[in-house]
Amino acid sequence: MFQRNRLMIAFAAVGMLMSAGAGAQEYPTKPITLIVPWPAGGSTDISMRAMAESASKILGQPITIDNKAGGGGTVGPATMAATAKPDGYTIAQIPITVFRLPLMQETPWDPAKDFSYIVHLTGYTFGVTTSAESQFKTWKDVVDYAKTNPGKVTYATPGAGTSLHIGMEQISALAGIKLTQVPFKGGAETNAAVLGQHTMLQADSTGWRPLVDAGKLRLLMVWTSARSPNFPDVPTLKELGYPMVYDSPFGIAGPKGMDPKIIAKLHDAFKKALDDPAVIATLAKFDMVPNYKNTEDYKKFVTEVTNSELKVIESLGLKKKN
Amino acid sequence: METLLNVGQGFGVALMPVNLLYCFIGVFIGTLVGVLPGIGPISAMSLLLPITLSGTPESGIIMMAGIYYGSMYGGSTTSILVNIPGEAASVVTCIDGHQMAKQGRAGPALGISALGSFIAGTFALIALMLVAPGLASVAIAFGPAEYFSLMVLGLVVLTFLTQGSMAKALLMACIGIVLGLIGLDSITAMPRLTFGRLELIDGIGLVPVVMGLFGVAEVLINTEKLIKRDVINAKITHLLPNKADWKASAGPIGRGTILGFFLGILPGGGSVISSFASYALEKRLSKTPERFGNGAIEGVAGPESANNAAAGGAFIPLMTLGIPPNVVMALLLGAFIVHGVQPGPLMITQNPGLFWGIVASMYIGNVMLLVLNLPLIGMWVQLLKLPYNILFPLIILFTIIGVYCSSNNVFDVYVMIAFGVIGYFMRKIGYEPAPLVLAFVLGPMMENNLRKSLILSQGDLWTFVERPISAVCLAIAVVLLVGPLLPSFRKKRELVALEEGA
Repeated sequence: MFQRNRLMIAFAAVGMLMSAGAGAQEYPTKPITLIVPWPAGGSTDISMRAMAESASKILGQPITIDNKAGGGGTVGPATMAATAKPDGYTIAQIPITVFRLPLMQETPWDPAKDFSYIVHLTGYTFGVTTSAESQFKTWKDVVDYAKTNPGKVTYATPGAGTSLHIGMEQISALAGIKLTQVPFKGGAETNAAVLGQHTMLQADSTGWRPLVDAGKLRLLMVWTSARSPNFPDVPTLKELGYPMVYDSPFGIAGPKGMDPKIIAKLHDAFKKALDDPAVIATLAKFDMVPNYKNTEDYKKFVTEVTNSELKVIESLGLKKKN
Repeated sequence: METLLNVGQGFGVALMPVNLLYCFIGVFIGTLVGVLPGIGPISAMSLLLPITLSGTPESGIIMMAGIYYGSMYGGSTTSILVNIPGEAASVVTCIDGHQMAKQGRAGPALGISALGSFIAGTFALIALMLVAPGLASVAIAFGPAEYFSLMVLGLVVLTFLTQGSMAKALLMACIGIVLGLIGLDSITAMPRLTFGRLELIDGIGLVPVVMGLFGVAEVLINTEKLIKRDVINAKITHLLPNKADWKASAGPIGRGTILGFFLGILPGGGSVISSFASYALEKRLSKTPERFGNGAIEGVAGPESANNAAAGGAFIPLMTLGIPPNVVMALLLGAFIVHGVQPGPLMITQNPGLFWGIVASMYIGNVMLLVLNLPLIGMWVQLLKLPYNILFPLIILFTIIGVYCSSNNVFDVYVMIAFGVIGYFMRKIGYEPAPLVLAFVLGPMMENNLRKSLILSQGDLWTFVERPISAVCLAIAVVLLVGPLLPSFRKKRELVALEEGA
């Protein structure tokens, strides 16, 4: 660790000398700061660190991670949009809340205008489980039961307004059923809730994996685009007849007004990082699926996701009042 | 017999030189971050997590765990010496611990908290070895209704924490609850009391509030006193607890251990709640409750044992179900996963070396902590001789660094300073910060669980009485509230009242 730090300092020193000497040196000439708006040590932080390490080798400059948590992952990107120069030396991980929160309340940023989107990277694996002792053997059992007992089926989520909550509501709307959400705080609590049969279902990211492996929970479906290699028998949303993928995807962006050349450089480096075996291995540990989108597709995706989220948020009564 | 074999295997893993070294580094760093106000185990563990990646999973987890329970040991030191809790679980230790220090009994206070912690930590580990899998089911038997009733019990406990008037304590509790409301409503995700500020969406952090109310306020109140140090300069007669201290502390340590262990298993701030609960219990059982708040050693021994036992208990749901009961355990879960191990029902059978190795290392770590901490007592006591004009700026410096490190956010530093000023005025007009902090922690959890239980019961309030665990908690709360009104309790109540008048 110390040695790596020393190496970074050496890199930085060389970089500065070069930029001073050569004048208009090609980007990047100094270390890049990547804001990760989550606490250090969590799944997003660890996967971003792996990608940053790999990308820094390609860029030839270290990428330092700045953990700026808060506001459901929006404080970091918002601070960057408001204060950082669009020189490519400050970029941020953009969680889906950056698009969602402005729909729910006044925010100082506009996701359509205030960011230069660079590359879309990956998403999480979400799934719906039930206790092994539950009457529900498949998702169809849940739908059948809910049709005759509207509002009786309860599901635990890691929080109101999270992707899990909004995803479940979209699924129920498509299935024509009504479920009752019980918002907990984080995956640990939803595991306990469904295990103790306090709620009938659990919708959460793969924190349930050891319990499913041990046969204490039954996984009814996953929300990724393809079946999970860890659970080849579990159907996806698409297979169950819901034409959607829900994985709370994320990418990186800088402040608005970045030079397209710099964007292209960062895009290429992070795209290559996604192919790095070390990155793939780290992502697999957290059941994260690479979900590459280039700069243009990423921009389109931001508009799409904003529109689809708006509908659900309106139907949940969470839309901000103008 | 099988358990013994497993334990033997565990010690085999834990006694490997490299693991011993990691264990020592862990408990040493833990003691250090526990002592430094503001820098808690969470920031230390998240910073050090990447370092452990180079070693085996055993070494990495052993070190991480060491930081956690090491910080529980260290946390009491600044509480006792300068009235600043090293971490949230040590808030209650300030009440009597600092009074003891003022009376020249800092040594026994530090000694009993180290020894109490050792006894409690050891007991918690033995319990962890013997009953871990069985107790896991206790944790999941607690649903929202049970938690709500437990929180009600927790808030009733408030009434025993107060040293001054009940009305003032209740007012503080109300303010604490309102402060706890700030942020996104946990059920509907609507922002409450955020005044459009992004920084407030996640609510106010516990660390800046505690550091401000205790740390900064303590410094402020002291700076206006004439700098004369007669109290602390009172001759320090002995460093270790004497026979009378032991006699008074034996019961509190025993009760604190059992209470802490069981509360530690439950998700949601077990070590904080258990330390408050233990203090309240000891005050309730004491023949001389008026001594509490004026340097009663029981008020140090009980809570310190409780929070260490809770640290041990907290490992049960993590290692047997993969459910982390608090933030530190969530980080530890992250450490397990990074090392490619999934804690859960299968871990003990699939990875017995790892599981028993960690448990055994915690036992060794506890011994190391005792050896490390007892000689340090003399040094800590010397620290009190530092002139205030050096000590106070240092304290402020460390609290600011600590608060900033916990979130990398300057806003939290402002929050801490604001609460420092509030805490100063509170003290001037005789309001206690402890009820505010407890209500701040429990209030939001209580609201969230109340609303979740009502969603689950479809609005039926009887759910709290129909569920046995919940009913028992509520019954105890009622007894505690009504008890003082009954004739047999009245005598004790009068003693407390006398103290209020004083």
